[in-house]
Amino acid sequence: MKVADLLAHGFRALSLPDGDREIDGVYIGDLLSWVMGRAQMDNAWITIMTNVNVIAVASLADTSCVILAEGAVMPDDLVKTAKEKDINVLVSDEPIYETALALAGLVS
Amino acid sequence: MKELSLNILDVAENSVKAGATLTQILLDEEDGILTLQIVDDGCGMSEDVVHSVVDPFYTTRTTRKVGMGIPLLKLACEQTGGELSIESVTAEANPVEHGTHVTATFNMNHIDFTPLGDVCASVLTLIQGHPDTDFLFEHKKSGGVVELDTRKLREVLEDVPLNSYDVMEWIRVYLQEQYEALS
Repeated sequence: MKVADLLAHGFRALSLPDGDREIDGVYIGDLLSWVMGRAQMDNAWITIMTNVNVIAVASLADTSCVILAEGAVMPDDLVKTAKEKDINVLVSDEPIYETALALAGLVS
Repeated sequence: MKELSLNILDVAENSVKAGATLTQILLDEEDGILTLQIVDDGCGMSEDVVHSVVDPFYTTRTTRKVGMGIPLLKLACEQTGGELSIESVTAEANPVEHGTHVTATFNMNHIDFTPLGDVCASVLTLIQGHPDTDFLFEHKKSGGVVELDTRKLREVLEDVPLNSYDVMEWIRVYLQEQYEALS
């Protein structure tokens, strides 16, 4: 499953510089230092955090995309930073659990 | 980070890397506000660098393009309604008095306050890893003050390295007893 394929399943794209990136697995977490050491490369990462450090952690952990659950709003300047740093950021209006369930049916 | 003590360790390591001979770690708890100061006499940073260290995409490390020490500390204090400030004087600007002063304030009663954690372990880790530089640790609480000054230890110890097992164990117990006396 590619990141861009999620757009057909209720996810919205805020930043999609690399929509062809494959998703391999899912990680969920909001404590950034924790995520930094545990999210695996190519995971889709679900969080409700929207500060600049999220983009940095996604870059460090090399996740395939950040998915902001609960319709969490990322400020425009950070969306710009995400694009500059080649980080895919999507939004789901569902709560974290439902977002994970939706991904479970799509991601191997 | 899960504990502020890990954050303190991370930022104090930057002071040592900046060539500090003395790194001060000062904690002051008053009226529900925790003020953390990390003060060093290292090489200092220019104004541009001070601005960029709060940006997670800035780092002096060559192995990765992201440096998270200060950005995570900033997040930890701002999510309690506190703030982070950095003042720095480079050795070029002032050859006598130079260094960096990081101040972070935390509202300890805020629900998103990160627990302080085992700050003694952080101090011990710093001394263990850098026995030839000095550290001043001070933690002011309502009941009194916990203190450790490696310069004073060094006077007594003379040539015994600070990171020898017996000295480390003595420091550990010394700090522990001071905390127990406060509670």
